[in-house]
Amino acid sequence: MIIRVLKIWVFVFYVKGVLDEQFLELQQLQDETSPNFVYDVVNIYFQESEKLIRNLRGLLVDKEFSDYKKMGKHLNQLMGSSSSIGAKRVNNICLAFRAASEQNNRPACLRALELLENEYCYLNNKLHEFFQVMIDSPSSTTTAPFC
Amino acid sequence: MDSLQYVPQSSTAEIEFPVGLRVLVVDDDVTCLKIMEQMLRRCMYRVTTCSQATVALNLLRENRGCFDVVLSDVHMPDMDGFKLLELVGLEMDLPVIMMSADGRTNLVMRGIRHGACDYLIKPVREEELKNIWQHVVRKKKNENKEYEHSGSLDDNDRHKRGSDDAEYASSVNEGAEGLLKIPKKRRDAKEEDDGEQENDDPAAAKKPRVVWSVELHQQFVSAVNQLGIDKAVPKRILELMNVPGLTRENVASHLQKFRLYLKRLSGVAQQQVGIPNSCCGPLEQNGNHSSLGGFDIQALAASGHIPPQTLAALHAELLGRPTGTLVSPGMDQRLLQASFKGPAGISIDHGVAYGQPLIRCPSNISKQVPQSIIAAENVNTALGGWPPNGPGTVGPLTNLGGLGAQSGNILMGMLQQQQKQTLQSEPSRSINVQPSCLVVPSQPSASFQAGKNPASMNQNCSFSRSSAINYSLVSPQSNNISFGAGQVSDGNLKTPSVLNGYSGPGSISPSMLSCSINADNIPNRQLQNSTLASTAAGQLPGFARNASDTQGSYGFNSGQVLDQGPLRNLGFVGKGNSIPSRFAVDEAESPMGILDYGKFQGGSNGNKVKQEPSMDFVENGKVCIPIIQNFSPNDLMSVFSE
Repeated sequence: MIIRVLKIWVFVFYVKGVLDEQFLELQQLQDETSPNFVYDVVNIYFQESEKLIRNLRGLLVDKEFSDYKKMGKHLNQLMGSSSSIGAKRVNNICLAFRAASEQNNRPACLRALELLENEYCYLNNKLHEFFQVMIDSPSSTTTAPFC
Repeated sequence: MDSLQYVPQSSTAEIEFPVGLRVLVVDDDVTCLKIMEQMLRRCMYRVTTCSQATVALNLLRENRGCFDVVLSDVHMPDMDGFKLLELVGLEMDLPVIMMSADGRTNLVMRGIRHGACDYLIKPVREEELKNIWQHVVRKKKNENKEYEHSGSLDDNDRHKRGSDDAEYASSVNEGAEGLLKIPKKRRDAKEEDDGEQENDDPAAAKKPRVVWSVELHQQFVSAVNQLGIDKAVPKRILELMNVPGLTRENVASHLQKFRLYLKRLSGVAQQQVGIPNSCCGPLEQNGNHSSLGGFDIQALAASGHIPPQTLAALHAELLGRPTGTLVSPGMDQRLLQASFKGPAGISIDHGVAYGQPLIRCPSNISKQVPQSIIAAENVNTALGGWPPNGPGTVGPLTNLGGLGAQSGNILMGMLQQQQKQTLQSEPSRSINVQPSCLVVPSQPSASFQAGKNPASMNQNCSFSRSSAINYSLVSPQSNNISFGAGQVSDGNLKTPSVLNGYSGPGSISPSMLSCSINADNIPNRQLQNSTLASTAAGQLPGFARNASDTQGSYGFNSGQVLDQGPLRNLGFVGKGNSIPSRFAVDEAESPMGILDYGKFQGGSNGNKVKQEPSMDFVENGKVCIPIIQNFSPNDLMSVFSE
C-alpha cells in the first residue's frame, strides 16, 4: 500500500525529469535490514551537496578565481552523488557547469551555479514532500514508514 | 547486520561463491559510499567501506588476505585513485575496480592502463556489482596461468613490463606469490619450507624457479650495495652472493625488479618505467646497466630524490643490517605516495616527501624487522584459493617457506609495520572509517585502531542511527532527528532552518513550492520567512541553520523552503488542496491505487493529523496516479514488483 503511494510520488518526480530511474533503484535497495535507507541516503546527499554547492559559490564569487581544477573536483563529486540518487536535472546542470568550467569561462560558470542552486533547491523541496507523504501515510504496523 | 565472522574454508564455501566476497569500497563521497554499501550487501557480499584512500591502504596492508576485491573512486582528496590502484596492485595484487562520475573515454582509458580490472561509471547499478566477482576469478586464473607458463623469469618479466601496471605487479610478485598461488595439487610437488631456491624437475624444459627468500634477498642487496647500484652487474652480484645453483638470469631479473622498485620509491614517473625496460635488453651488458643506473641517478638526482645508493642501503638496513639511515615512520606514507607519480597530470607533492631528511629510526624497529618482513609477506595467500584464509593469517605468520621477499613488499611491509605503530599512537590521524558504517560529520570520528581484529573491522553494522529515527514528525516522542527541525512540537513542524540563499536572485517564489510541511499552521513561519528574506541576498551565508540542534544531522537541515502563503495548496499534504497544476494530469486513471489507499486508511490508527492528509489524498481526485498510465508500466512497475 505504501508502495503505491511511493509509486505515485516517484512518478511525479519522474515526470518532471527531476528524478530518474536511479531513484527507483534506490527504493529497491531498501529492505527490512535497512528500512530507512532512502531517507538516510537522501539526507546524506543533502548534507554533502549543500557543502559542495557552497564551496562552489565560494570559489566563484571570488573575482580572482582561477582554480577551475578544484571546481571541477567539487563538480565531479556533486555529479557522482546526484546521479547516484537519481537527481537527473541536478546532474545535467552539473554537466553543463563542468563544461563551462573546463573552458575556464567564469560568467558561464556563474550562470550555471545559479541554475544549479535553483535546481537543487527544487529537488530538496520535492524530496521533502516525498518523505512527508511517506510519514503522513498511515503505516501498517511498524514505525518506519517505508515498509 | 551480524558481525562478520570468518567462515572457515570448506568445500561448501566454494559452492556459495560469490556469496561472501569481501569487498572494500573506497570513496570520499559519502552518499555514493552508502549506496554502494547497500548494493553490495544485497549482492550478499561482505562490505567494508572507507572514505579515505590512505585509510583504505592501511586496512589492506594490515589485513592482507582479508579482501578479495577493491572498489575505488578515481577522484579522492587524499590520494589519487590511480595511485591507490597501483599500490594495491603492487602490494596486494588485488583486483581493483575504479568508479567515477566522469565517464569520459580518456579517463577510462587511463584507468585501464593503470591496471584497473574494470571501470564503473556512476551511477552504479546493482547489476553491475553483481558481476564483480568475475574479476576476482579471472585474475586468479591469469596468475596461475602465468605461473605455469613462466619459463625464465626474466623473459616473462621483460615481456610484461611493456604492459600495464597490474601485470607488472603480478610479475613482480610472481617470485613471491607465484609459489603461494599454486593450486593445491602442485603444492605437494614443491617444498615450501626451504628458503633457498628450488629446482623443478630437471626434465622440464623451463628453468628452475628461484624463490627469493629473505636471506637470499639480503645477500643480493648487500652484494648490490657493495658494488654500487649503478655498477651492479648480475655477474658480479652472482659472484658476491656465492649461492650455489643461482643463475645469472635469476639475478638479472631480480635486479631488474629491484631497480624498478627503487625507482618507484624515488618517485620517478610511471611512464618512465617503460624507458629502462627498453634499454634493459640483455642485462649482463655493462652498457645497459650504466644507462639504467645513469638513468636512475639522473632522474633521482634531478628531482632531488633519494639517491639509489641510499635507497639500496636503506633497503639493506630494513633487512636487518645496520647501515646509515632509515626512513622515519612519518615518512612512509609520503614516500609511498611520492613513489607513484602518475602520468603527467597527476602530480604528487614531491616536495613534501623529499623535504624530509631521512631520520634514523629508533632501534626497536630494526629488531622488529624480521618479524615485519614475515608479516608483510602474507602474500595474499588468500588469493590462492577461494575462500581465503581469514584473520588468522594476518598476525604472525608462519614462514610461508620461500617467502620470496620481493623487495617492494619488504619495504612496504616494513613501512606498514611502522605505520601500524604510528597509527596506534596517533589517533589524530583522524581516520574515520567505521566498519561499513557511514561517516557522518557530527559523529566523532572513530580513530581507527590499527590493530583491530579484522573480524570486527569488517563488521557490517547497519547504520545504527537510522534505527533511531522516528519519522513521525508529528508525534511528540519523535527524537530530535527530524526533518531538519530541532524541536518538533506537537502537530507543528518547525522548520526554522533557512533554505535558501541559493536562489540568489531574490526570494523564493511561492510557486516554488515547498515544504512538505504539515498542513497545520506553523506559527513561526513568519520568523522563518523573514530570516529567509534577510539571507536571500545573493551570497549565501552558509546556510543559516537554526539554533536548534539538529541531531544526528539527519534532518534536512538544508532544506526547508517555506512557502509564503498557502502551504495548503500543496498537493498531498494539505487539506482539500488542488494539486499544483503541474502535477495534475488527466483523470483517466486506474482507480486502483486510490482505492487501495482508501482501504488502507481504515486500518490506520494514526493520529488525526496524520489522517487528514490521507483523506485529502483520497478525496482529491486529481492525483498523480494517472501518471502511471503515461509511462510504460513495465519498467517502473517491475521495479516495484514485490
